[in-house]
Amino acid sequence: MKRIIVIIALIFAAITATTIFNGCAVPASIASKSGAQLWAENCLRCHNSPPPNDYSDGEWAAIGAHMKLRTNTMTDTEINKVVEFLQSAN
Amino acid sequence: MKKVTAGFGLCILLLITSTTSAQDSTQTELNMKALSGNPGSTHLLLSGVTWFGLQANLSDTVKTNVKNTFNDFGFSPMFLWKLSDKVFFESEIEIKNDGSAENGAAFDLEFAKLSYTANDYLTIGAGKMLSPFGAYNEKWEPNHIERFPNAPLRPDDNILPDDSHLFWGAIMGIDARGKIPMGSSKLTYVIYISNGPTLSKDANDRPTGVIQYENWNDNNNNKEIGGRIGLLPFSNNCLEVGFSYKHGIANSLTDTLFNQNREVSNYNIGATALAYDLNFVKSVPDLKSIIGIRGQYSSLKVDQANYYLNDSATYTFDNNLTSYFAQFSFRPAMVENCFFKNLEFLIRFNSVTPPKDALWGGKATTRLDIGLDYWLSWRTGLRLAYEMTSNPDGSKTNMIIARLATGL
Ligand code: HEC
Repeated sequence: MKRIIVIIALIFAAITATTIFNGCAVPASIASKSGAQLWAENCLRCHNSPPPNDYSDGEWAAIGAHMKLRTNTMTDTEINKVVEFLQSAN
Repeated sequence: MKKVTAGFGLCILLLITSTTSAQDSTQTELNMKALSGNPGSTHLLLSGVTWFGLQANLSDTVKTNVKNTFNDFGFSPMFLWKLSDKVFFESEIEIKNDGSAENGAAFDLEFAKLSYTANDYLTIGAGKMLSPFGAYNEKWEPNHIERFPNAPLRPDDNILPDDSHLFWGAIMGIDARGKIPMGSSKLTYVIYISNGPTLSKDANDRPTGVIQYENWNDNNNNKEIGGRIGLLPFSNNCLEVGFSYKHGIANSLTDTLFNQNREVSNYNIGATALAYDLNFVKSVPDLKSIIGIRGQYSSLKVDQANYYLNDSATYTFDNNLTSYFAQFSFRPAMVENCFFKNLEFLIRFNSVTPPKDALWGGKATTRLDIGLDYWLSWRTGLRLAYEMTSNPDGSKTNMIIARLATGL
């Protein structure tokens, strides 16, 4: 019984949080970060930063989707900016 | 079973609520389009890792023993398919020397997971996936990413009588993950439901109290629930702290277990694990370096039960286990010299404390690792480590380990 309450509480917390934050604007200073800056800040945390010319455009698209899930911290807009930067610089 | 159904129902409710609140009909149409797969929208990457290494035992004084060996090789192809902006599939196969395989290599499906992204706040995944418990397993474990030539000390490193996969490995189940911006900080979450843990059995098929994860079929109808919450307080994401939790019932429907010396049917043995993790990586221009601090503390607590000592007697013990590691790395990546900029200096302290009074338990095993890497590229590195283990019986084992690993 306890576990069900914990699960329900967790799920409700997630629903409430997603509903509240869905409409929440990202601060301008963060929203305006360029793909290069996001790449420099985010792609060094777990492994060395991969250089743009190691992969083709299509491969970067797949990697972007993969890293979005692994990091679980980057929004679609942020990861798209990084991928566009890497595709333009490879 | 009811709980599982409730869990599933709630996950679906979560998906529907958050997608409907986030999306208007235009967005839904876009999603349908994305799902139907526009020509040219599929992207495939064949990636992975390969590694080769050796180890030398410096403490072994028995003349007839083999003291150094090339014992470490493997190849893990990884397949990544981005099917649309919403749908992604990832899978990895591992072929490696695990010391037991007759033909020199064991073959494993590490993970095969299909994910659907509803929005920034919610992605649902299903399949065999890396356990999101703690940070090490999902984020730092692959051999081209792990900076040391081996993993931190784990209960499976000959400390427990059986492989347990307590705080790493894969799960079979469903997860929901996402991130929630909080001003300039970020909160991330993962919740999952999977097959639960099981109790390892002795030669007479009796539970020993060792908890095993990585179960491809469950041994009871109760599923494990777990998850992780991560907080990134700074806008440049240089620091992430995480808290993980998982709970499941470990005994099978047919296990004979004892409570208060009475055989009790319907007696559930719950296994609850917690983990705290931290990752801090920062370029420090004054030192012309990148410094990294990372660590994870994990603990497991199993409900009280009496286990067979022999055919006629039972015994009990506090079935608690802790395991942690803390690591510091320093890479002078911004110096001019092209040799020094590729070096990375590492130090890591590890500890595993099994249940003190278990037949298979005892005192802590600790290990201090001192490492040196030479990076040939961002994903290829030669790793060297000197590892000093303090065993529970007071003896010490010193090893030198080397590994060349590359991402593919
Ligand atoms: C939270 C940790 C983490 C962060 C942050 C991270 N990565 Fe990764 N990355 C991984 C892991 C783990 C793997 C290995 C995946 C595997 O082998 O299972 C990986 C693998 C890769 C690979 C090899 C191909 C692949 O997809 O596996 C590339 C390229 C890559 N990352 C690029 C990036 C980029 C670009 C960023 C920044 C947007 C980034 N990573 C940020 C953890 C991370």
